[in-house]
Amino acid sequence: MTALIRPPAPSRRALLRAGLAGAGLLTLAACRSAVDEVANTSATAESSDTPRKGGVLSVATGVDFTPSLLFAQSANTLVQRLVFNTLTRYDDRLRPQPELATAWEVAPDGTGVTLKLREDVLFHSGRRFTADDVVFAVKNLQNPARSAQLRSTAAAVTDFRKNGDFELTLLFAHPVSNLFDLFEFMIVPDSDSVEDAVAGTRLIGTGPFTFTDRKPGSSLTFTRNDRYWNPGRPYLDGVEIRIVPQAESLLSSLRTGQTHLSYNVRGKDVATLRSDPQFRIKQYDTGAGAYYIGVNVTAEHVGDKRVRQAIAWAVDRERFVQQALGGYGSVSSVPWPKSSPAFTEAGAGHYRHDPEKARALLKEAGLDRITLPFAHSNDPGATATAQILQYDLQQVGIDTVLQPTDSPTMQKQLISQSMPALWTLSHGFAQLHPATLAVSAYPFNEARNSSHFTSPAYTDVVQRAWNRGDSDSPEAKALYQQITDVLLDEEFVIDLAIAGLVEVAGRKVQGATLNKFGYLNLDDARLTA
Amino acid sequence: MRTFLLKRLPSGLLVLALASFLVFLILRLIPGDPATSLAGPDASPAAVEAIRAQLGLDQPLFGQYLGWLGRLLSGDLGPSYAIGGQVADLIGNGLGATAQLALGALLLVVLIALPLAVAGATTRSRPLAAVIQAVTTAVLAVPPFVTGVLLVLVLAVSLRLLPAGGHESLLAAPDLALQYLAMPALCLALPSAAVLARYLKDGIERALAEDYVRTATALGVSRRRIVWRHALPNALPSAVTVLGLQIGHLIAGAVLVERIFAWPGLGQLIEQGVARRDYPVVQDLLLLVVAVYVAVQLLTDLAYAWLDPRIRWE
Amino acid sequence: MTSTTLPPEPRTDRTDRNRYLSALRSWRGLTGLALVGAAALAGLLAPLLTGTDPNAQSALALAGPSAEHPFGTDDLGRDLFSRVLHGIGTDLALIVTAVPVGALLGCSAALLAATSRWADLAVQRAFDLLLAFPGLILALAVTAVLGPGRWPVVIVIALAEVPGFGRQLRAGILVQREREYALAARVGGASRARVLLRHVVPNAVDPLIVQTAVALSLGVFIEGAMSFLGLGVRPPEPTLGSILSQSVAYLATDPTFAAAPLAATTALVLGFTLIAEALNRGIRR
Repeated sequence: MTALIRPPAPSRRALLRAGLAGAGLLTLAACRSAVDEVANTSATAESSDTPRKGGVLSVATGVDFTPSLLFAQSANTLVQRLVFNTLTRYDDRLRPQPELATAWEVAPDGTGVTLKLREDVLFHSGRRFTADDVVFAVKNLQNPARSAQLRSTAAAVTDFRKNGDFELTLLFAHPVSNLFDLFEFMIVPDSDSVEDAVAGTRLIGTGPFTFTDRKPGSSLTFTRNDRYWNPGRPYLDGVEIRIVPQAESLLSSLRTGQTHLSYNVRGKDVATLRSDPQFRIKQYDTGAGAYYIGVNVTAEHVGDKRVRQAIAWAVDRERFVQQALGGYGSVSSVPWPKSSPAFTEAGAGHYRHDPEKARALLKEAGLDRITLPFAHSNDPGATATAQILQYDLQQVGIDTVLQPTDSPTMQKQLISQSMPALWTLSHGFAQLHPATLAVSAYPFNEARNSSHFTSPAYTDVVQRAWNRGDSDSPEAKALYQQITDVLLDEEFVIDLAIAGLVEVAGRKVQGATLNKFGYLNLDDARLTA
Repeated sequence: MRTFLLKRLPSGLLVLALASFLVFLILRLIPGDPATSLAGPDASPAAVEAIRAQLGLDQPLFGQYLGWLGRLLSGDLGPSYAIGGQVADLIGNGLGATAQLALGALLLVVLIALPLAVAGATTRSRPLAAVIQAVTTAVLAVPPFVTGVLLVLVLAVSLRLLPAGGHESLLAAPDLALQYLAMPALCLALPSAAVLARYLKDGIERALAEDYVRTATALGVSRRRIVWRHALPNALPSAVTVLGLQIGHLIAGAVLVERIFAWPGLGQLIEQGVARRDYPVVQDLLLLVVAVYVAVQLLTDLAYAWLDPRIRWE
Repeated sequence: MTSTTLPPEPRTDRTDRNRYLSALRSWRGLTGLALVGAAALAGLLAPLLTGTDPNAQSALALAGPSAEHPFGTDDLGRDLFSRVLHGIGTDLALIVTAVPVGALLGCSAALLAATSRWADLAVQRAFDLLLAFPGLILALAVTAVLGPGRWPVVIVIALAEVPGFGRQLRAGILVQREREYALAARVGGASRARVLLRHVVPNAVDPLIVQTAVALSLGVFIEGAMSFLGLGVRPPEPTLGSILSQSVAYLATDPTFAAAPLAATTALVLGFTLIAEALNRGIRR
């Protein structure tokens, strides 16, 4: 390419820069500019008609990658699908599509599945991917130390039958309805280096990018895997994940073009980017989890389900979505986002803002004014959330004492079931098959949850919904409705709103997608000039 | 001077020993534990127990303390719990970044404070004095986290002069690295520079009011010479004390500044370590901070004694 | 011992009081007093000046100034006028409790240090330890043990002020002790404690005045930083720091949100600084 490059005339910005640069800045500005350096990373992209190749995509995230949670759903799931692959991937209508598995057949009684695997896949170490690696991946998830949310589903696999290197049958103790959730969730690691992977030193998978470097708290870098099985992919030369913990700074890095893509922009900040032609904004209907008020049913007053229902009626969910989520979210009385087969409009709109009804229920329970402790995470977002809820509850006669708590403390209290009467948090795992929520997400776990809630009816309906070979038959849907009914009646988890999962991408970025668990897929992504 | 050092060193070591005990204890007093934060939000109690045993957290506390000291003395800091990688590498990288930031800031502190103080104390122009006064006060009156965000909005988002945040290796690309460094260092330096400028200005003014200055003026010594050769040196000892104190503020301030500018230094590392209860990282790091601090204090005292002959070497 | 062998004591309590008073009558002193006074009055009289509950929320979030809300509203639709006034009150209560405690502890430690070389060593190392500990860790530990509220903030501010006061006084004592009048007093046979308390300390107090101003403003900042990190007073109680750190997220889009808390913070810090400078100048005269 021999395009003639004419030196640009000095722009107003350049003049301004020269004028403003002080003694110190002058020497800096005389060199390369770090601002331009970053903005030009995609300049290497060839300008041809077919998909442009090359360039390094920079993704901004607020939370650092936690190596020990590589096999679990955590706050940062950008790495998983860059370095690794899953067996299948859902399309928009929750139909599995081939990834490492090219074909699958579920046994008629639902107690087994036979998988055909790709034969042309190499790990980054050069080793060939075979059925043994799938066996290892399942066993890896069964290890409690991996704390994988879908461990219960992986644990239902009791036996493996290999037929050659590229065909494999998994046998189950009982039918499981969320089998393909597992295949969407489970990344296939290299068995030799898995301990290095959870220590964060070496990540070896079959994915489109190889892991090159990690600076904890700062960045992760990846380069193109030239031997990737998906022909011609990836288009990008590399990926950089920048960790920017401060929300304002993350926004600045997007505005200045230092980063190209983020899924961590707060709703209220997205609202300010909407009108900016520099950005494309997209919402995923899987949502980014649901906000809820958790109730410890063994605490004073709230053991009575009428009090819990009163709380559900007391909250102005519309105002919550506007003020806490900047409008990026939807009010909901149930955990299910729109992508879930259990989602119904009636369920989502079951509880409205009705302070009268809340007061009446409290009176019915023989209570007038009560005071309850209310724990929340001590970050700015959760603190705002808690204050909104506190105010709404106060209006119906429920005074609360806020307890800002840092997240490890909160986590310990959750797991050891020592939460105060009320707390607010968000939960995930409702985006796929409803059974996944009730057997994998801790707040809803029928066997043991932070609310100390148990009921034979709940356990029964959850087990029946889970131990099935199918997931969208009318009978299955009826069972989901029963789960919803129990949740709406008992209200040990009071759902408030589904947070929007918002993608903020610079104009240059195309083709980035997330899977249903939020794994970033950049196979088809490219940077345009 | 050597006796001075010999006398001070053992007490420094004592401080370190005491600090190690405090650090260990305080970390365990803070609620929450590494196993639950490692296990993730939806972990089962079994998973937590497995991780606890794997980390040795089920051992008695005193044994854990001795084990930690043993590892420290053998020079092997071991792996981190949650952040990933070896503690020594994490701290090494963080230390490099923070050292750049702190040295840059320190340089800026002196470069800003010295001329401001001298000009403020000696100028006969009232408007100039008022401007200097106003600038140093205004900088002090705005919290650093507001200054930081404002700097980013003006210099990065509006003017596009400097990158909004991040870090570049000084060895790989020194010119870029300096641009990344400029804003966080400035943000960190401003409050300390204002404090130092005020102290120094006070000191110079006080020294100028002393008898010997009047004598020198009467003898025809030039004003410039009086300021630079007499007043300033007399004001320096207490300014050095203040500067020593400000180094503490620089390290503490680094936590906020590194967060705002996504600077991968020790402040971020400590914050992350605490947020995930990564005991090895936080313990080793805090002890290191105490050690650095003790060393800096030793140097400040040396400088103080050297600058002020009235203090005896004892 | 005859008192004629002693040089005249440089300062007495009576003249001190006069000097301080006349110092405060300078323009600096008056401006400072006016600023602090206005802010303090606004904070103390908050319940009379505004009938609005500082914690009452509404759907009207992030509104600009209007007749109903002179400073606008915050992101939860709360009246900023009321919140800022009540916030000043909270901040003053916090620092006015914490700074004297810190000063007292620091000065006592410095006096203790002046008694013997060993005490000096111990006190200095204690200051080192206190200064070396990053404030974040201290704040986190104190808040974790006591739970959120006003007391952890008071304790953290007080502890942070201890070494500053202590080291200033110690440095002052070191310098003054070597001066002629102190040497003369010692030669004249005055006891160590008497020389220290009657001659050395009164002359070493000056830097502490500057230190007090810095300490008061630092108190406002520490409160702010703790709020910024989620370790401040229990929400929804307003403090200047909590309102400011809330507003930082909206600096680019709704700058009016930050204006009022920033102005109040600046007035307080500026006021304290001017008062201290006035006193400082008066002392030197």
